[in-house]
Amino acid sequence: MRLLLVEDNRELAGWLARNLRLANYVVDVVHDGEDADLALGVTEYALVILDLSLPKLDGLAVLRRLRQRGDLVPVIVLTANASLSGRIAGLDEGADDYIAKPFEMEELEARIRAQLRRANRRADPQISCGALSFDSNTRLFRLGDQPLALTPREHAVLEQLLMKMGQTVSKAALSESIFDFDNPADTSAIEIYVHRLRKKLEGSGVQIMTLRGLGYLLQNAD
Amino acid sequence: MRIESLRLQLLGWILLPLAVVMGFNVWIGYGAARRTADLVTDQLLLASARSIAEATRADVGIIEATIPPAALEMFDTGHHDHVYYRVQTGAGRLLTGYPDLPLPREPATEARPVTYAGIYRGGAVHLIAFSHPSNASGDDSSVLVVVGTTLNSHRAMTRQLWAHSFGQQLLLLCAAGILALVGLQRGLAPLLRLRNAVRGRGRQDLSPLSVGSVQSELRPLVGALNDHMGRVQAQMAAQRRFVANAAHQIRTPLALLSTQTAFALRQTEGGERTETLKAVQVSTRQLARLASQLLTLARAEPGSRRPRAEPVDLAQAAREVLENLMQAALARRIDLGLEVDETVEGTALTRGDGTMIREMIVNLVDNAIRYTPEGGSVTVRVECAGDQVLLAVSDSGPGIPPAEREHVFERFYRVLGTSGEGSGLGLAIVREVLDSTGGTARLDDAPEGGLLVEIKLPATGVAGRS
Repeated sequence: MRLLLVEDNRELAGWLARNLRLANYVVDVVHDGEDADLALGVTEYALVILDLSLPKLDGLAVLRRLRQRGDLVPVIVLTANASLSGRIAGLDEGADDYIAKPFEMEELEARIRAQLRRANRRADPQISCGALSFDSNTRLFRLGDQPLALTPREHAVLEQLLMKMGQTVSKAALSESIFDFDNPADTSAIEIYVHRLRKKLEGSGVQIMTLRGLGYLLQNAD
Repeated sequence: MRIESLRLQLLGWILLPLAVVMGFNVWIGYGAARRTADLVTDQLLLASARSIAEATRADVGIIEATIPPAALEMFDTGHHDHVYYRVQTGAGRLLTGYPDLPLPREPATEARPVTYAGIYRGGAVHLIAFSHPSNASGDDSSVLVVVGTTLNSHRAMTRQLWAHSFGQQLLLLCAAGILALVGLQRGLAPLLRLRNAVRGRGRQDLSPLSVGSVQSELRPLVGALNDHMGRVQAQMAAQRRFVANAAHQIRTPLALLSTQTAFALRQTEGGERTETLKAVQVSTRQLARLASQLLTLARAEPGSRRPRAEPVDLAQAAREVLENLMQAALARRIDLGLEVDETVEGTALTRGDGTMIREMIVNLVDNAIRYTPEGGSVTVRVECAGDQVLLAVSDSGPGIPPAEREHVFERFYRVLGTSGEGSGLGLAIVREVLDSTGGTARLDDAPEGGLLVEIKLPATGVAGRS
């Protein structure tokens, strides 16, 4: 899951990103409105965390432009202005949720999970495909009764495939969801991660099919 | 005792002159009453004298004076007046009456009776002398009649006439007082309404009062009141904005702290955890600094501290500040120096609040140290320049682009792209202190390549302002 974090306070942005990466999200960080607008124009994110008081381009303007482009990506607005009018303005411009500073990390993460669940139209935090299951609350994979140990990249690939279970996921879409700005996309690396995942899923009946020229598909062979 | 009520004061000022005028009137009235009584008495005396004179006839060459009873009875007005008379011939031979009754100083003729005052038998008397030709010849060809009366009746009449006029005047004064009171009540009603309007307001209500029914003389007062309330309102709005802003500014560092501690709690490895806790410590210090700057700014606000005007030696103040900041400078290997010419020593005096001026220097130097890269230099210079004293802080840091310079004195303004260190309050504090001390600040490029902040304050004795 690739998230965009827009926060002008560099320290706060950095530490938020560290926390989110710890929870196996792929995080891009930008510090002003213009960069945010640019990033949102070229990358498809699973979710955006947006501070409203931004230099160069105001957070509300970023939000307005995003919605004008018809992008429905979930947006959680993050602001130090706790006034009612501020909250209403944010929600009216198309924000999906709102969290006021200072906040607890746990709460922000719970809200992120809730928004992702809604975006993927799932009421149940538990997602499974045969023996493979994923708890979107703990953000951990299980294979049968055993927890499945994965590297962050493998986690990102498998999560993306599971979210789109039964659908083809293109290589490009996969690479976009696992690489951030600091680690440029490398499509050939995807094959390596898929290969490793196949090995870890061996014997469970869960398969990652390769559809030549189209991409990958996660399915239960049983 | 001072009379506080405006109504009573005005009433006093209306009634006092009125009473003086009426007092004068009463005094004049007394004179008039006495003159009236004089006239009446004189008429009585004349009538009496005439009737006596007419009853004095010469019969076969012998003049005989007969006093007709009516001539004396006319004085019987119930005031027990004594009547004295003296009838004598022109030659001075007493015909009848009181031989020692005083005679007039000037001769009385028939055409001109003489009235005069005298003392007889130990009492004041009014007299009239009247000369009348007799039918006798020679020395007896005229008769002089003198009639006098004591003044009981005269006094009673004066008193009565005067008392009447006094009563009327008193009644008039009372009527004037009541009318004045009613008039004042009506005239002052808008003022009293204004008072009630001001008194009845809620603590938060600072909206202007309506000028509507207030007299033109009071309009400036209402205007001044509205003006004052406007200023208070602006001040309160500024204060509210500041508090909202401050709350806003404190939320982000708090969110940072909370995020960092969350991260630390998730670390299982000791090393990473220690590193995170160190970052927490740094954030805590920044938050503490922000809090103290907010406090300083609140203290520098006009009206929040008793204005002080003590002599402040800028060189001395700068030295104290630099000594305190030396550790911070050494920690970043910054060459922190003070340049004070010997001639300036002890003469760079200004007037103001010493604590706030030192606070201002702290913020200037602290900013310079903060934004200058390690190994750089920060220099503080104090000079006297005519009727001003000058304090310049220059550094070898990145400086401030000219386009940003007019904004950096605004509260919470941060130059784009600067690191998370500053609060955006340092220069706002400087401006606030300068506003209350009457100084100016100028930003320029420093010779070292960084920023030069030049503060000018009025020198003591030349432009000392409290």
